Amino acid sequence: MTAIDTSLATSPTPPGAKLSFDRSTFPWWLIGILLTILFPLYKILTDETWEDGYLFIKDGLTLTFTVTIGGFLVAMVVGLVVSLARMSKRTIPRNLAMYYIELMRGIPVLVTLFMFGLVIVPWFFDLVGVGPRSPIATKAVRATIAVGLIYAAYIAEVFRAGIESVKKGQREAGMAMGLNNRQVFRLVVWPQAIKNVMPALGNDLIALLKDSSLVSILAVREITQMSKLWTGRSFQFFAGFMILAAMYLTLTVSLSMLLQWYERRIATP
Amino acid sequence: MKRITKILIVALAIALVAAACGGGDSLEGREVTVGVENLYPPFNFIDEATGEGAGFDYDIWNEICERLDCTAVFVEAGWPAVIEETGQGVYDTAADGISINEKRKEVVAFSDPYMTTIQKFMVRGDESRFTTSDEFIAGDYILATQVGTTNELLGNELVGTDRMEAYDSFPVAVQALLSGDVDAVIIDDVAGQGYQGANADQLSLLEGDLQSDPLGFIYPHDSDLIESVNKIIADMKSDGTLEDLIKKWFIDFDA
Repeated sequence: MTAIDTSLATSPTPPGAKLSFDRSTFPWWLIGILLTILFPLYKILTDETWEDGYLFIKDGLTLTFTVTIGGFLVAMVVGLVVSLARMSKRTIPRNLAMYYIELMRGIPVLVTLFMFGLVIVPWFFDLVGVGPRSPIATKAVRATIAVGLIYAAYIAEVFRAGIESVKKGQREAGMAMGLNNRQVFRLVVWPQAIKNVMPALGNDLIALLKDSSLVSILAVREITQMSKLWTGRSFQFFAGFMILAAMYLTLTVSLSMLLQWYERRIATP
Repeated sequence: MKRITKILIVALAIALVAAACGGGDSLEGREVTVGVENLYPPFNFIDEATGEGAGFDYDIWNEICERLDCTAVFVEAGWPAVIEETGQGVYDTAADGISINEKRKEVVAFSDPYMTTIQKFMVRGDESRFTTSDEFIAGDYILATQVGTTNELLGNELVGTDRMEAYDSFPVAVQALLSGDVDAVIIDDVAGQGYQGANADQLSLLEGDLQSDPLGFIYPHDSDLIESVNKIIADMKSDGTLEDLIKKWFIDFDA
């Protein structure tokens, strides 16, 4: 899970202070990122081959978003359940959760996708007697669920860290005010936990967006698969993968900035 | 007079030696790197018994090098990047049952064709919803193949891109067929027979030829191998070696 550091400046500017150009704190790297994105963009606007490539590949954006957002929702829901089970005092739920987390974190995403898409789901459908072509189990749906289940393991650990970071005194204060267990969690623990884990969740969302490229092995037509299809017939590997890289970079950097802005907004002063 | 006779004899001797060598150029023992995918039986694959690469491409390039005095060094390469890479000179040549087509000629040079394949639909052995290629095309069945192949191009033409699924390699496409995700795989008949060999009761090829494609080896455009290898291919055609290799790998071979 790689983090992208998007802190625009290392030293905070006090409100009202005179803004002056400081060579040592100026975000030079951001200029570099922008140029990296602008070069393919310039080629797309001026070169017909690049434009063809872009027009072909961009049709995969819908599925890239679907897999990313759908996968993240699955990961959040399953992750919360797993993290609660992981912190349970009861033996069976706790062990099941630990098994799940170790399983998903111990197997590479690519391998899990192959297993899920080509082995487990077809086997399951065979078992329950559903045709493999049922619309609830298209390759895109399978890929989304698979990516979601994988990231659920990471997010479960993020949630656990967040929940455990809320001091015991907070819980006790809630109890003292007459709240029951459920209310303490919902009204006292959860709001603080989610704030603590926002950066980690954001990193996981960005990592999930990048890993959505792997579902191309199941012939799901997200942007990576579209690039493979286009370069496979046009042999424009340089153009095809530059466009693809620029698309991912645009998405991840904007997402990262959006998350930073949101973290600042919800930060406790 | 005597002197002239001597000169003539020497000249004749030189001509004879030159003619003897002229049948084949010599590469003087140099290494020729051959890009292969190792995922396209029976052209090239990893032999389960030995763990080594094997197949038609291995045999034919070992034979070519035998005759040209070179050493074939096989390098595993990904499809379809192998075409681009060969064009850039990463490999001296590549063999992967590559169909000769105009678009690819912009990137690489082709050898003379060494064999011709026919594209077909491969279906599950128990398929009963359709029995001919035309019925398959007319329905709304899903077709799979490997990305960046002439099979993909033809499949797109025949059933449209909405009914096509392009996987990274043929084994994955065939797996999708076996698990019921797709209804057919469009594939060259000889490669299809390779898979049938491995899953005899589970797969069959539909009647009806779709398109025939001549296959060639590829080289960088500036390669000095093209002419010499073309001569060997012609020799192998006339002396029956090529036919024997085709029989060995595409008719008798049982994966």
